[in-house]
Amino acid sequence: MASTGAIAMRVPVSRAVRERRETRNVFYVRAIVALAIVAIWEGISWSGLFFGDVVPSLAKIIPALFKLLVNPAFWANLQITLVEAAASLAIGAIAGIVVGILLGSSRFFGAAFEPYVYYLSPTPRIILFPIMIMWFGVGIASKIALGALSSFFAIALSTAAGMRQIDKVLIRVGRSFRATPWQMATKIYLPAMRLPVLTGIRLGLGNALITALLAETKLSNQGLGFMIMQIYTRFDMPTLYALLIVVFFIAGACNAVIGMIARSTK
Amino acid sequence: MASRKTPLVATSWFPLTVGALTFVAIGVIFEILLRTDVLNRYIIPLPSEVLLAFERIVVEEGVLTRTGVSAFEVLTAGLACVIVGVPLGVLLYRFDIVRRALEDWIAALAAAPIVLAFPLFLVLFGRGSTTVIVIAFAYGLAPVVLKTLEGLIETRRVLINVGKSLNMSQTQMFWKILFPSAIPSIFTGIRLSWTFCVIAVIGVEFLVNLGGLGQLINDLAERYDMPGTYAGIGFVILVSVIFFIILEWIEKWLQPAR
Amino acid sequence: MTSVETKSRAAGKPETGQPVLIIDDVVKTFGDAEEAVTAVDHVSFNVKQGEFVAVIGPSGCGKSTLFNIIGGLLGEYDGNVMIDDERISGPHPAVGMVFQEESTFPWRSVIDNVAFPLELRGVAKSERYDRARHFIGLVGLDGFEKRFPSQLSGGMKQRVSIARTLVSNPRILLMDEPFAALDEQTRLLLGDKITQIQQELKQTTLLITHNLTEAVQLSDRIVVMTYRPGKVKRIADINLQRPRTSDVVGSDAFGHYVAEIWNDLREEASRGMQETEQVARADRRHG
Repeated sequence: MASTGAIAMRVPVSRAVRERRETRNVFYVRAIVALAIVAIWEGISWSGLFFGDVVPSLAKIIPALFKLLVNPAFWANLQITLVEAAASLAIGAIAGIVVGILLGSSRFFGAAFEPYVYYLSPTPRIILFPIMIMWFGVGIASKIALGALSSFFAIALSTAAGMRQIDKVLIRVGRSFRATPWQMATKIYLPAMRLPVLTGIRLGLGNALITALLAETKLSNQGLGFMIMQIYTRFDMPTLYALLIVVFFIAGACNAVIGMIARSTK
Repeated sequence: MASRKTPLVATSWFPLTVGALTFVAIGVIFEILLRTDVLNRYIIPLPSEVLLAFERIVVEEGVLTRTGVSAFEVLTAGLACVIVGVPLGVLLYRFDIVRRALEDWIAALAAAPIVLAFPLFLVLFGRGSTTVIVIAFAYGLAPVVLKTLEGLIETRRVLINVGKSLNMSQTQMFWKILFPSAIPSIFTGIRLSWTFCVIAVIGVEFLVNLGGLGQLINDLAERYDMPGTYAGIGFVILVSVIFFIILEWIEKWLQPAR
Repeated sequence: MTSVETKSRAAGKPETGQPVLIIDDVVKTFGDAEEAVTAVDHVSFNVKQGEFVAVIGPSGCGKSTLFNIIGGLLGEYDGNVMIDDERISGPHPAVGMVFQEESTFPWRSVIDNVAFPLELRGVAKSERYDRARHFIGLVGLDGFEKRFPSQLSGGMKQRVSIARTLVSNPRILLMDEPFAALDEQTRLLLGDKITQIQQELKQTTLLITHNLTEAVQLSDRIVVMTYRPGKVKRIADINLQRPRTSDVVGSDAFGHYVAEIWNDLREEASRGMQETEQVARADRRHG
C-alpha cells in the first residue's frame, strides 16, 4: 500500500445500502447451510447407509408431521405435558423467588445456604425421579415435583444474584429520601430485579419442560415424552422425527415468549 | 455495624457451620419422625440406613468401575466438544457473515432439549457407550462454540491496535493476542460444556439403563432398595459436585490473567 | 521490516533539530457524503529530532484521529504524513505508540509484556530479557518483573506500556493521553518520569492530550487545535528550562504559559460543550 501522495479513492456507498447488502448475504448463507443440511440428509437417506428407515427422507417426515398435527392423541398429550410444565414452573418460581430473596437479602443466609443451591443446581436432576415416584406416585404429580425442583434452582440463584447486583447507590438514594420498606420494595428492588428474575424464569421453564418430558419417557402413560417412547417402540421413525421437531419447536417458542416478555416490560 | 468486634454472623466459618448443621438437623429430625412412625418408612428410608448403605454400594455395586465408565464417557464427549467447538468458534469469528447467519441457530441449539432425542440416537448408534457419548457431545458443543466466539469478539480493541502498531501478521495476531485474550472465556465455555456432558451422560444412562452411575440408580430403584437408592443418588450428586468444583478451580486459576 | 536495531540510539539518526515527522496538510473526513464529519482539517506541523511536542485540544478536535493516522492505524487520509520521505499509510516501524486505554497483556508478566516487541522479531530470550529489564528500570518498575498486570496500579500498568513501546527503540514516541485515566498527583509524578526518560534517551515524542498542565509541563512546543473541524489554531513555544521537573508547575513562567494557552483553548472548549448539549437536546426531542 505505497500509494505515495495519491488521494485514496473511496466508493461512496451509503450505510443503508451496505446494511441491506449484508442482510441479503446473511440470508444467502442461511439458505445455503439449510439446503446443504437437507441435501446431506437426503443423500444419506437415499444411499441406504443406515438400515431401513433410520434416516427417512423428508418426503416421509413432512407427511408424518402433518399426520401428527391432526392426531387428537398428540394434542391430548401436549396438554398433559404443558400442564405439568406450567405447574412445575409455578411451584418452582414461587419457591425460587422466596428462597432467592432470602439468600440475596441476608448475607448470613447467603453464606450459609447458597453454596448448596449453587452446587446442586447443575447436578443431573432426573436421577431424583425414583424418589419422586415413591413420594408422589407414577402419575402427573411426580413429574410436576421433579419439574418444580429443576426450575427452582435457576430461579433461586438468579433472584439472589439480582438482589445483590442492585446498584448500592440506588439503595442509598432510596434511604436518603426516607423511603418506607414498602416503597423500597416496589420502587427500587422490584424494578431493578425484573430482568434477572425473568432470566431465571426463562431458564427455569426450559428446565421444567425438559425434565417433565424426560420423566415421561421413563415412566408414564401420558404426555409427549410417553408418546415419544410409544413411537420409538413401534419403530415409526418418520413420526419420531416429526414429534421431536415439534417438541424442539415448542421449547424454542417458550424460550422466545419469555424473552419477549422481558423485553416488552422494559 | 456499630460494634467493633466482628459479629458472629459476619465471620466466614459461622454461616458455613450453620448451613452444614442445618442439614444434619434435618437428617436427625427425619430419623426421629421415621422411628416414631410419624413418617412412612416405606417411602423414606432412615437417614442412618442411607449412611450405612454408602459402604454397601461402594463394596457390592462396583461404584468405582461405574464411576470410571461415566467419567470416560464425560471426558470423551467433553474433549470432542473442545476439539470441535473451539475451531468452530474461531471460524465463526473469522467469517463475520457466517457468524451473523448461524449464531442464533447455534444459540437455539444450545437451548434445545437434545437429550430428549435419545431414542433417535439409540436407533442410530445402538445401545452402548457410543450413544451416550454422542448425545453428551451434541448437548455440550454449543457452549464451547459460543464462548470461544464471545472471547474472541471481546478482545479489547486497544490490544488489537497494539498488535497493528507492531506490524504483526495475521497469524501472530491470532496466537499472541486474540487467542490468549479469549482463553478465560473459552474455559468458561468448557466448564459449561462439561457440566452439560455430566448431566447428559448420567441422565441417558439412567433413562436407558446403560453403563455407569445413572444405571446404578435405576438398578437400585427397580430392586426397591430404598436406602441404596438414596445413597446412590447422594453418591452421584457428590461426584458431580466435586467435578464442578474442580472445573471451577481451574477456571479461577486461569482468571487472574484477566 | 524486522531488523534488530542496535542498542546505540544515536547511530544513524538525524541531528537534533532536523524534522523527523512531517505532517503536511492532513485532512480526514468520516461518514457518508451527506452526513460527513471532518475530523482533521488541513493540519500541518513538524516534529524535530529530540523534540517533545504536545497536541492539545478539546474533546472532539480530532486529536485521536491524528494519532491513529500518524500511527498508521487509519490508512486512508488526504495530505501527507512523512517519515524519512515515506508517506505513512500503515504502521511504521519508526513510530512507537502508547495508547490511552490500559493496553498491557493481562496474560503476560511485566517482563514478558515489555519484551513482547522483541519476541515478535525473534530476539533470543536472554537478550530480550536484558533489554526489557533495562527499560523496566528506566520507567522505575525494578522488582516488578515477574508480576502480572492485575497486580499493578493503573499508573504502573501505563508505565509497563511505555516501557514496551520504548524497548523497540522507536525514533518517534507517539502517545495518546497516556495518563487520562490517572489521578492528578500520579499524573504529575509520571510526567517527571517521562521528562527524565526523554532527556536520557533524547527521545523524540509527540503527545496527544487535553490536559493543559501536562502539556506545558512536558513540552517544547504545543500545537493547539480547534473544536470540530480540528484545525491548528496556534503553535506555542514553551521556553521553560531543561532539565525540568514537576516543580516547574509552581513557577510564574509556567502559570503564564498555562494562562496563555487556556486563552486559546477556552473558546474552543466552550464551543464544544455547547454543541454537545445541542446534540443531547436534539436527541431527546427525537427519542
